[in-house]
Amino acid sequence: MRTIIEPFKIKSVEPIYFNTREERETILSNAFYNPFLIKANDVLIDLLTDSGTSAMSSNQWAGIMKGDESYAGSPSFFRFEKVIKEITGYPIAIPTHQGRAAEKILFSILGGAGKYFISNTLFDTTRANIEFSGAAGIDLPCEEGKHPSIPAPFKGNMDVATLKRTIAEIGVANIPMVIMTVTNNSGGGQPVSMQNIKEVSAVCKENNIPFFIDACRFAENCYFIKLREAGYANIPVPQIAAELFSYADGCTMSAKKDAFANIGGFLAMKDLELANSCRNLLIITEGFTTYGGLAGRDLEAIAIGLQEVMDENYLQYRIRSIEYLTHKLIAAGVPVMQPAGGHAVYLDAKAFLPHIPVHQYPGQALACALYTEGGIRSVEIGSLMFGKYDNNNQLVPAALELVRLAIPRRAYTQSHIDYVAEVITEVFEKRNHIGGLEIIEETPLLRHFTAKLKPVK
Amino acid sequence: MKMVELLKMTTPAQRKKALTAAGYNTFLLKSEDVYIDLLTDSGTSAMSDRQWAGMMMGDEAYAGSKNFYHLEDVVKSVYGYKYLVPTHQGRGAENILSKILIKKGNIVPGNMYFTTTRLHQELAGGRFEDIIIDEAHDPDNEFPFKGNVDLSKLDKLVKKYGAKKIAYVSIATSVNMAGGQPISLKNLKELRAYTKKHGILIIHDMTRVAENAYFIQQKEKDYGNKSVKAIVKEICSLTDGATMSAKKDALVNIGGFLTINDWNIFEEARNMVVVYEGLHTYGGLAGRDMEAMAIGIKESVDDDHIRARVGQVIYLGEKMKDYGIPIVRPTGSHGIFVDAKKFLPHIPQTAYTAQTLAAEVYLDSGVRTMERGIVSAGRKPNGENYFPKLELVRFTIPRRVYTQAHMDVIAESTARVFERRHQIKGLKMVYEPKYLRFFQARFEKL
Repeated sequence: MRTIIEPFKIKSVEPIYFNTREERETILSNAFYNPFLIKANDVLIDLLTDSGTSAMSSNQWAGIMKGDESYAGSPSFFRFEKVIKEITGYPIAIPTHQGRAAEKILFSILGGAGKYFISNTLFDTTRANIEFSGAAGIDLPCEEGKHPSIPAPFKGNMDVATLKRTIAEIGVANIPMVIMTVTNNSGGGQPVSMQNIKEVSAVCKENNIPFFIDACRFAENCYFIKLREAGYANIPVPQIAAELFSYADGCTMSAKKDAFANIGGFLAMKDLELANSCRNLLIITEGFTTYGGLAGRDLEAIAIGLQEVMDENYLQYRIRSIEYLTHKLIAAGVPVMQPAGGHAVYLDAKAFLPHIPVHQYPGQALACALYTEGGIRSVEIGSLMFGKYDNNNQLVPAALELVRLAIPRRAYTQSHIDYVAEVITEVFEKRNHIGGLEIIEETPLLRHFTAKLKPVK
Repeated sequence: MKMVELLKMTTPAQRKKALTAAGYNTFLLKSEDVYIDLLTDSGTSAMSDRQWAGMMMGDEAYAGSKNFYHLEDVVKSVYGYKYLVPTHQGRGAENILSKILIKKGNIVPGNMYFTTTRLHQELAGGRFEDIIIDEAHDPDNEFPFKGNVDLSKLDKLVKKYGAKKIAYVSIATSVNMAGGQPISLKNLKELRAYTKKHGILIIHDMTRVAENAYFIQQKEKDYGNKSVKAIVKEICSLTDGATMSAKKDALVNIGGFLTINDWNIFEEARNMVVVYEGLHTYGGLAGRDMEAMAIGIKESVDDDHIRARVGQVIYLGEKMKDYGIPIVRPTGSHGIFVDAKKFLPHIPQTAYTAQTLAAEVYLDSGVRTMERGIVSAGRKPNGENYFPKLELVRFTIPRRVYTQAHMDVIAESTARVFERRHQIKGLKMVYEPKYLRFFQARFEKL
């Protein structure tokens, strides 16, 4: 059988509101050409993010009803803790209201001026939290990861040789942590190989630098390891995950991705002393140690989701459905990141709109065109998200200009995806008519969330 | 009741074991070992069927969720503040607001401290100054509005430091640490007039504003015929912005917000919320939680609801008084505050009087309460212990969760402990965390 069906059926539905192209033009202009500022009701297919947008299972909903809302010592916490310990092998699990809160706590403790966090590629909120603490982030993606159109099995890998050189240059004392993002989101949802994790872990151990995993999409990454890395084809995903976590000292997790939760995150780690510092900060900004700013029901939903996500029938369907959209677009000649990643399809906006210079944000222009054409909401991952200004106030562009179409887990069917492919193909045919954008208002941190833009005349 | 949650009964031996394992700190008990949980009224409410229906209507879009717009409408119409920034809890809102409004060396006067609020003020470089009336520190004083501000105390601070050094005046409605005591509208109006003259903002800690409004309706002249809803709106109209933990009044298990009338503060808060909480249209909450909050806010200002709510607390207060148990008077809105100094006069504050009493009540019946005394007060920035006048045990009543029979059990159990009070010995602290020590501190029997 060629068709891979979803290993689930629909139990509850949510309507989509249709609108016309003219209406969408007005909506987009009112949202200042920033899809983040569009009301969700005005979106037909929402591919802004796969974060918090999953459909929960009936088991998770049952967990929601079972949630114990005691302020302290809720049994929901103990179930949550047990599942995380089992999956990661780390003795300590600390809930937070989201992944970024887990990062915030970690970097407040370890960061500060003069410190450098090294990663394969840091995600936007991760980088912002690092910079907010006064520290700096350094991305060291492998060479293949820098070229969207060249397929390679593990484009999320870190460049180990450069890592060694960077450590020697900066000095161990100034590097509080090395972070591996699995899968590598900003780099196109590309996986990291076990081999690479092992090597990075060895370098960190040698230099006595703590090594953490940003585990948002750990199951998707593990499934790629199973598919692509020698020696893993017959190993069950939970075992691959256990091995992956074993090479690190801890992890941060946004449970809104690979735990199918609509809210929540956690920190897990080996170091008891670091954990105590984390808990002290947790209580100030998040909540007591056994709820971390989450309702008891959310702890239940996360615990159940973490177990569901490692089901191989699900992962096969998940990875295959991303690949399905990618192949459709490749067949239509649309420039996409290759090979397909774990959670999203990334359009190469530079190749898609070669006539728009980077300072006119081709990625954002493309995201806007997709909305106008078909009501699809996507997100720019390029110079709007990661661009900076130099001392002369000139834009320092990001390495890649991408548009991410993140596919929510278990939310859309194949016909929704077919529609998405059609819209993108149509926009591709009319690409010469798309113009650039300029920023009229922005904030110093995480500007892409709230920036206002207008078309360049 | 439409849905119930089963309780577990424990034996005295099991409770003794659980309490020792928890280091005599009720926060560290597993909730499975608790029979009636009066640790807090925060996030422990039973939601209504309408709120549960709202949970199913959650729109989990990352940006622009329709539940956000619903919540925005409700906050505007019920409370009247202009701009809304949702946060995952009240402390998330306090964190952001303190960082925006407090400069290093600023003074933050308020009607009694609250643990997390004061900590955020201190971490932002400010210093809290108590301007509550003296009556609030006297557990036996029956004054009906013990949450009131002593304007002469505020005036002294303004004269000493200058109005510019005052970050804002922090006003809690239904003052928690004073025993859930209300502030009167008359007092708030005077405060408004004073702060207006000096160009000082009033920030409202509004987590129990509806309960405060109920006391105004019951006790303040000229308000007997006004609805709680109208009084809530009037209270809010006299302040410039608010932080809200929706886990109290608003009947939800998670959620909070910051709401403000000033556009510039709002803009700054909206930028900051992305770093700490989440995008400004979800602030770290699931869409369904914003929906439950919007519905809960509407339910919270219903006269019948609030009468039943506060009425249950007063019922328990009367029972306690009948047994001769010393409690803070008058009975507050969200719980009974037992005066531990009077209950256990032979145990000094340095042996953690209230902490001891909370442990003993748990041992007797599995009722979990909370210390609100020297452990909660913590240490000053210079490392010295605060010695609060009030050394209390809080019996906080979750909203819509327990029945009158549960209240009877609580009173009877406390009375049993009261009878054998002379045999009770104090505690010593064996582990003390850096911040908010009451949450995680551990103790041993002396």
